[in-house]
Order: sequence, then C-alpha cells, then structure tokens
Amino acid sequence: MRREYTDASDAALVVSIGRYQQAALAEAYRRHAGATFGLAKRLLNDHARAEEIVQEVFVRLWNEPNRYDPERGTLRSFLLAHTHGRSVDLIRADAARRNREEKEARQQAVGGYDISHEVWDLALAGHVREAMETLQPGEREAIELAYFGGLTYKEAAERLGEPEGTVKSRIRSGLKRLRGELVQAGVSVGSD
Amino acid sequence: MAGSAGDTYELDELLGAYALDAVDADDRRRVEDYLEVSPRAAAEVQAHREVATMLAFTGMDAPDDLWGRIAGEIGEQAPPPGPELAKVMSLDDHSRRRAISKVVPWIVSAAAAAVIAFVAIGLADRADAPNEPLANAVEVARADRDSLTTVLVADGTEGSAEAIIDQDGHGYVLARDLPTLQEDETYQLWGVVNDGQVISLGIFGPNPEIETFTVEGEVSALAITIEQSPGVISDGNPDGAFVGTF
Repeated sequence: MRREYTDASDAALVVSIGRYQQAALAEAYRRHAGATFGLAKRLLNDHARAEEIVQEVFVRLWNEPNRYDPERGTLRSFLLAHTHGRSVDLIRADAARRNREEKEARQQAVGGYDISHEVWDLALAGHVREAMETLQPGEREAIELAYFGGLTYKEAAERLGEPEGTVKSRIRSGLKRLRGELVQAGVSVGSD
Repeated sequence: MAGSAGDTYELDELLGAYALDAVDADDRRRVEDYLEVSPRAAAEVQAHREVATMLAFTGMDAPDDLWGRIAGEIGEQAPPPGPELAKVMSLDDHSRRRAISKVVPWIVSAAAAAVIAFVAIGLADRADAPNEPLANAVEVARADRDSLTTVLVADGTEGSAEAIIDQDGHGYVLARDLPTLQEDETYQLWGVVNDGQVISLGIFGPNPEIETFTVEGEVSALAITIEQSPGVISDGNPDGAFVGTF
C-alpha cells in the first residue's frame, strides 16, 4: 500500500479514489470495512449476505466517489448509511427476515483484533452504552427496532403497541439526546 | 413538499426515522422533497446519521478474503489492507458518566473579559462559502433572530471563529480562520452552561472548517482551546484560548 494514504484524511482518500488510485480505496477499506461488515452482519445475521453488501458498498464508492460529500459528514457515516439502507432493503424483501428471528449464529472468530481496536471499542462502546442508558425506555426500544431491527417506524409502533406518531417522535428525540450525551462525553460526532 | 406549519412539524418529526431508513416509500418521498428545500432539515438528518454511525460500531473485522473480491471486481489487484485504524477521540477510563468538567475559572473569567472584545462580524458576504447543506444550515441559523451568535477571539493571537446556536440548541462553529495547528494538537470547544459549569462540546482537530455541536440549556459563553490530540475531558488549556460570550 502506498505509504502516503495511511495518513490521508478520508476526504483526501475519496479524491484519490476519484483518480482511480486503488490503493486509496484499499486504505478506505482498511479503515471502514470492519464497521460496515459488522453492521450488515448484525442486521442480516447472514455472513455471506453481509459480505455482499460490503463488496457492493466499496465498489460503489469506487465507481461513484462523487456521491460522498465531506461537508455533509464523515466517510464512515456515508458508508454505513449505504450499508444500512441496502441491508434494510434485503430485510424488507424478506430475504433475510426469517433468519433474523433465529438465535444468533455462532460468532466466527476474526483475526487482527489489535490493541487499537480494543481502545476504540472499549472507549466508544462505553460512551455509547452510557448514552443509551440516558434514553427513555420508549426511545431506546424505538431506535433499536428501527435501526437494528430494520423496521419502519410504523412497524415498530405496531410491534410496541404504541401510536405511530409517538414512535416517530421518540426516534427523533432519542437520536438528539444520544448526540447530546456523546458530545458532552467528549466524543467527536461527525468529524473526521 | 412542506406547506403549512403543521406539515413542516410532521415532516420534522419524521427526520429521525428517515435517517435510520425507518420510513416507507411514501414517507421517504415526502421527506426527500422536504430536504430539498430545508437545509436545516438536511443538516439534522446528517446529524442523526452520524449518531447512528456510533451505534453501528461493533469492533468487527471484515473477512480476510473480501478485499480480494472487491479488488478483483474493480480491476487490478491491490495490496491487502491492514487492520482498521483507531479513531482519534477523547479517552478517559475514569469518566463513567458524562464528561462534564468542574467549573474552570479561567474560562469564566476570560468570558467576562471577552465581553469587551465582542464584536458582531457579518460573514454573510463570505465569498468562498460553499453552497452545501451545512453551509446553508449555518446561513439559516444565522438569519434566525432567535439564534445566538458570537465571535471567539484570543488575546494576542490572530484568527477568530464565529459560533451560532439556534433555538433548538444546534450549534455551528465557522473555524476556518483559526490558525492551523500541529498534527498532534487539536482544537476543543467548551461551553459555559446553566449554572456556570464548563462542558466539552466537541473536538475539532488541527484544521477545522465548519463544525457542529449541540447543547441543551442556556449557554453564556464558548471557548476554543488548543489541546494535545485527542483532547481532554476537563480542565482545558487556557493558553491562547479563543473566547466569545452571548
């Protein structure tokens, strides 16, 4: 891998990807593929489909790098939004929904979990867990069903036995509260 | 498309669900029409997605052979990437709860002094302002008479930053005019809130441009300090701090 990309910003990487520098895409993959795969795997509970989603997301970044606008958010957020959207498409097509209710498949041991992962994981996970604890129970349930369950807010409302408007509002207020809590915890939300 | 105030309220309420892909096709179209005409709403959706990014992190690695398939699909084989980098962020194992610092007297004192230096700078004519949703959101917030605006300046240091907080507590810092720091340094934003507490509102890195934050309650002053990366939980460095009051 070309050394200069390891220190490049995400925005600079995407510029280089636009110039067909495959090493820049490799660096973007190195930084963000774990998160995208983890999200797709959690949503779909299907290793192979999660791989397909990740492949699609990074090939799309290669083919259409101009779709990413650094002024509108981080590259990780952009890639995860695409990952989430595609995963939800699959869930709603009922291709994966049946499997999602089954017990979580045995976790496959994945190598390369280094100290930097652990630092990030522990620190961020702790902050996120604490932030989630500040939510009202209804907010937390609504966000979990919508984001990790792949349900629409209307479906989530039906599942929870709550009015649709209530669930819709709880998702929004919960996300705002989470952001405030994370920012107050010193977590940089939305900057590279 | 949003029409009446009621429509706007309803669409605003949908923004969280939209950001999480939790709307049906009809709602999606309505929200996307709305986002075309409301930079504030577009900025809110992006903010929600950044929060979702935090929720999504699992610490998992992608399978070893996946990169090879991607590289094969796009063309020539590239060198295999290594493990994911750690994200720069504020760390403190002891911060079990939110990282609200103790009152930092210097910021409060500096904020009082900064009242004298406060000047209202109109940046509406900034020629190089990008025509992007975030920049538009800044303009909308600035134009709202209910928003708070201040300019953060430092004694003896060139450069300044403009901060705007709208009535919903969404904040923007236009920090392009701050001096670029060393790579191992970062700007950190602090707010003096409610009863005089000083809280960290964000870490901007060494070369910030337009940065966002949120804050609840009343804010009497903001300060931007220069810290060693990745920033600190409390007790910011007073040397060279940029301070502005509301």
